[in-house]
Amino acid sequence: MIDSLLITFLKALLLVLVLLGAFAYMTLIERRLLGRMQHRFGPNRVGPFGLLQPIADAIKSVFKEDIVVSAADKFVYFLAPFISITFALSAFGAIPAGPAGSFFGFNPWIVDLDIGLLYVFAATSMGVYGVFLAGWASNSKYSLLGSLRSSAQMISYEMGLGLSVLGLIMITGTLNLREIVDYQSGAYLLILLQPVAFVTFLISAIAEVNRTPFDLPEAEQEIVAGYLTEYSSIKWALFQMAEYVNMMTGAAFISTLFLGGWRGPRFLDAVVPGISEWPFIWLILKMAIFMFLFIWLRATLPRLRYDQLMRFGWIWLFELAMLSAIVTGAVIAFVL
Amino acid sequence: MLTFVVLSVLMIVGAVGVITLKQPVHAALSLVATLLTLAVTYVTLQAHFLAAIQVIVYAGAIMVLFLFVIMLLNIQGDQPQPHFRWMQIVAYLTALLAAGAIAATAFLSPRELPNAELMSEALAGGGAAAIGEALFNDFVLAFQLVGVLLLTGIIGAVSLVQRKATQTAKDERELSGV
Repeated sequence: MIDSLLITFLKALLLVLVLLGAFAYMTLIERRLLGRMQHRFGPNRVGPFGLLQPIADAIKSVFKEDIVVSAADKFVYFLAPFISITFALSAFGAIPAGPAGSFFGFNPWIVDLDIGLLYVFAATSMGVYGVFLAGWASNSKYSLLGSLRSSAQMISYEMGLGLSVLGLIMITGTLNLREIVDYQSGAYLLILLQPVAFVTFLISAIAEVNRTPFDLPEAEQEIVAGYLTEYSSIKWALFQMAEYVNMMTGAAFISTLFLGGWRGPRFLDAVVPGISEWPFIWLILKMAIFMFLFIWLRATLPRLRYDQLMRFGWIWLFELAMLSAIVTGAVIAFVL
Repeated sequence: MLTFVVLSVLMIVGAVGVITLKQPVHAALSLVATLLTLAVTYVTLQAHFLAAIQVIVYAGAIMVLFLFVIMLLNIQGDQPQPHFRWMQIVAYLTALLAAGAIAATAFLSPRELPNAELMSEALAGGGAAAIGEALFNDFVLAFQLVGVLLLTGIIGAVSLVQRKATQTAKDERELSGV
């Protein structure tokens, strides 16, 4: 069933609204969880359990003064946050959330691309520009240093991402995310077949979304707030949005590639028939696990030094990912 | 047809921007815009795989490195370049020749358009499989030669930036105050 253009547009709009709503509440969840892990309360004053905190934050950041550096390259300075958020939001579109026709008779994905996996890579790789141009256009040394660092980091770890999925593509023989999910329901979960690639992919993904311990771009002791230094008000909020949306895309992407995507565990079918085929719920559950992991890591690990980050990426991560891909290829070619 | 016209106009505007904008970063961004429009053109031709690779490799990696170099060297747009004045004439001549050659191939020897049905059959599935088979069967030698060429380039670049071993050792001794 091919959806009409209007339906696709409406679904994309809905997805954007859901992602932005999820972003607002992820900030609250993250702050509450961090508070819990650090033996303090976290925001709990605005509304019950602090539930209205994101709304208060939103109003605050919209009405704050929007300071533009007078020496900034105005056009690029305005463009950068929009590049970040646009590509962050568009990456999610290829990820399927349920069986065909399960979303009120429509398909629970925006586009069903045969190269869905590459599409997600392409959209995330364009996200580098937001960070990069923000730092340059601000015309400030800390911003520039921050953006040089983070773009070097993002380009480097993008290769880790790409190498990690090589073996997976060899096994499934497709780049279509829906077919990768279907493959896992017919055979094993890919985390079992590609455990090394799963680990390298997860680490690269954390680096790619600039989360602790890879949040060098925002190493405040060294470079103030990196590329964000000269941004305020709503433009700053757009960068925050992009970061959280990227986190969610990363979580959904890992779940889809390695953990069976939108399908639930089959043994539950014996209890409630057909529960493993329910749309949305399993993908959201799996995403929640990874989001919790990201927050947990942030509360646990110290930040890497820049040279450690680069050495780890180029000397350990890539070799491991490459080795995993070579072994997978050899097994497919000579053993099976 | 309309999409093609809009896309080509955008592409040409971007390409003209690359050579006319004074600020190098703006010129590079203009090139990014051109490359992205080209990717969209590939999508309209059903060549999804090419489009994705275009974005990942050219727009996402190579252009970021371009910008990297521009920012690291902090090149400003208004620097006079007297050494290269004679280059202008050569550049104009070369550009004219190239444009003439392209126009001649396009208009003087029109090729037959490939069969649309065959094309769409080959490109079904985004073209990844078709390109893979062509690349690793018919063009495997060329593919490997390109690989060797790139490797040579990388080794050359690394050896160029490598300082002499004795020099490095001396610097380290000085730094450690021995």
